[in-house]
Amino acid sequence: MAKAFGIVTSSPEHKVEGMQDFRPIGAFSFLGRFRVIDFPISNFSNSGIDNIQVYITKAPRSLIAHIGTGRHYNINSKRGKIQLIVPSETLVNQVYNTNINAFFSNIDYIQRQTKEYVVIAPSCMVFTQNYDELLQDHVKSGADITLLYHKVFDAKEGYSTCNALTLDGEKVTAITPNLGDEDTKDMFMESFVMKKDLLLDLMQAARETSSMYTLANIVNAKCGELKVRGVEHHGFFAPITSLETYFKANQTLIDIDESASLFTSDWPIYTRTSDSCPTQFYDDAVVKNSLVSNGCEIHGTIEDSVIGRGVTIGKGAVIRNCVVNSSTVIGDNVVLQNQIVDKYAKIIHENKILAEPGKPGYIKRRDIL
Amino acid sequence: MKQTEMLAMILAGGRGSRLHDLTNKVAKPAVSYGGKYRIVDFPLSNCANSGIDVVGVLTQYESVLLNSYVAKGGLWGLDTKDSGVFVLTPREKADTGLEVFRGTADAITQNIDFIDSYDPEYLLVLSGDHIYKMNYDKMLACHKEKDAAATIAAMPVPMEEASRFGIMITDENDNIIDFEEKPAHPRSTLASMGIYIFSWPRLRELLVKDMDDPDSEHDFGKNIIPTLLSSGDKLVAFKFEGYWKDVGTIDSLWEANMDLLDENCELNLDDPTWKIYTEDPTGVLGLPAYIGPDADIERAYITQGCRIDGKIKNSVIFTGATVGDGAQIIDSVLMPGVTVGDGAVVTRALVANDINIAAGAIVGSADSKEILLVAQDV
Repeated sequence: MAKAFGIVTSSPEHKVEGMQDFRPIGAFSFLGRFRVIDFPISNFSNSGIDNIQVYITKAPRSLIAHIGTGRHYNINSKRGKIQLIVPSETLVNQVYNTNINAFFSNIDYIQRQTKEYVVIAPSCMVFTQNYDELLQDHVKSGADITLLYHKVFDAKEGYSTCNALTLDGEKVTAITPNLGDEDTKDMFMESFVMKKDLLLDLMQAARETSSMYTLANIVNAKCGELKVRGVEHHGFFAPITSLETYFKANQTLIDIDESASLFTSDWPIYTRTSDSCPTQFYDDAVVKNSLVSNGCEIHGTIEDSVIGRGVTIGKGAVIRNCVVNSSTVIGDNVVLQNQIVDKYAKIIHENKILAEPGKPGYIKRRDIL
Repeated sequence: MKQTEMLAMILAGGRGSRLHDLTNKVAKPAVSYGGKYRIVDFPLSNCANSGIDVVGVLTQYESVLLNSYVAKGGLWGLDTKDSGVFVLTPREKADTGLEVFRGTADAITQNIDFIDSYDPEYLLVLSGDHIYKMNYDKMLACHKEKDAAATIAAMPVPMEEASRFGIMITDENDNIIDFEEKPAHPRSTLASMGIYIFSWPRLRELLVKDMDDPDSEHDFGKNIIPTLLSSGDKLVAFKFEGYWKDVGTIDSLWEANMDLLDENCELNLDDPTWKIYTEDPTGVLGLPAYIGPDADIERAYITQGCRIDGKIKNSVIFTGATVGDGAQIIDSVLMPGVTVGDGAVVTRALVANDINIAAGAIVGSADSKEILLVAQDV
């Protein structure tokens, strides 16, 4: 068992238009049957971190329903626990909606932890990481703080609300907003390893500097006096920080070789089961290069798309390059191209909704078109 | 201990020898069905959906996999404070030593102490190898309303199959006036589904007597039901309408899978009010089904964790099965973990768990009378 407890942050600085009106990014459906937050929680669980705090700043209903007691994440209900931490006070202004303020309003939960270390991970990024290995390396290195980063070569596209690290060898010298000025950047994965006491000190220091400071801001300010170390992450990495990156992450993982590297049997990604039956493909179904979840009824054509659970696709319908989330109905002869269809939407009247690949369309939750 | 009104006991000890190599290493209730399920998921889910909290599962034949599977009561939601799934295997007892279950009734008799610890009013006895959805709570309401000693679920079967079943003769009020176990010349087509509700004190009394009867086969159909009838106890038939299958042979198991391809299949596994629960796979098996760019799918029932690059026609594909480029699966059932190599052709076959079919192999034939069971790598 790891010597750390885990914190999953709510990352309020990222805004995904449309989808986020209904739930936080962590609760977004992902790849048909998962939610984005399944990744950080499974990473903790697989790393032997079974004491986990999940911070939720807005619209908590769907995350509470999804995470529940957490037993589907393989967390022993006696030895470990998942605490869902929801705001107890209303913020007068969203500028105060920072992770530091969320930690402060629940400071006794952090103080009460008996583990020496804390690992902090974002709820809005898809990747796998063994945090126990990272923690052991951190202890061995003698650093005060370890940060995880991923080298990207397309920093001008997407990542607009992410931070990048400036590195001098292993040493982090700055954490600054990605302004899209260069293609290659060491993108910060919003993952921190440090002692619990240092986190408490940093919270105090942040508050004394500015009420708008985030944990990344204060670590940046302390880069000179503390030993802050960057560790490069390898493997699949997708921040879900905009509609475009959400769409792209789903699309990339249709490639079975990409998804097989993210979903391995020695590092299971757990999720809540919906007990759906298998999917029925009828005589007139034509399906190419797509991921299809359980519980669907398929008559029409699907190409290069991700289909969530319990979706009905009518006769003569054509779904091309789309992310169709669960419990939606696509009527007969409807044509969809480059669309994100949110849960429970019904497209039965409108018969052609097209968009360009770089700018996917969004069909709202419960909308009837 | 809190009293439980009705306890369920699932008889899951049989081998199902007519399923041949499919049940060499697993008991019939653990056999895979319908893409993602095991047969025993049906009675267990029915119990959970009917509000039954405590379920004993009586296992005997090749029970390692079955025992570890049903012990995970949480899969069916049977893990609350007052509920549980309990695996009951033959055990060495202080007074009689170690004995296997001598018959269906003896399996219950040997666990009277377990049942007594819940002090139930009624006992529901089920078979672990039938595929159906039934609300046992409705059956209990009927049992209580008629004030019966035993209620037997029954459904009409074709006359030519009637000799395979326990057959009942009833009066106009559904009272059972005669019962014959597998009669050569059936007098009715109303068959017992092997689902019984007994008033526990009365059954307990009979089981204790039956235990030492040297002429008894200790079987519900052959001994207990006839004894109840001859003693003048009230026996009632609870008529069931709907899908029910006892998949005894490879052909009937194949057919029960094929039934799911029918849009109007009465079993309807997509009913949100009566879900069938099962184990949820993780890792790459937890991914939605991947259908490749050159796949050709025409009438299929496919579950998560599959990877399909070839042609699937009129077939049921289970968890984690993979079908290579240019391969063809026609009128067949691929059980969990089957791998079909590029260009192979599988026709009218039931391919057992984890079997590999090499690239280019030809398995089964469109005009075979019987379904081919593939239980060894080809």
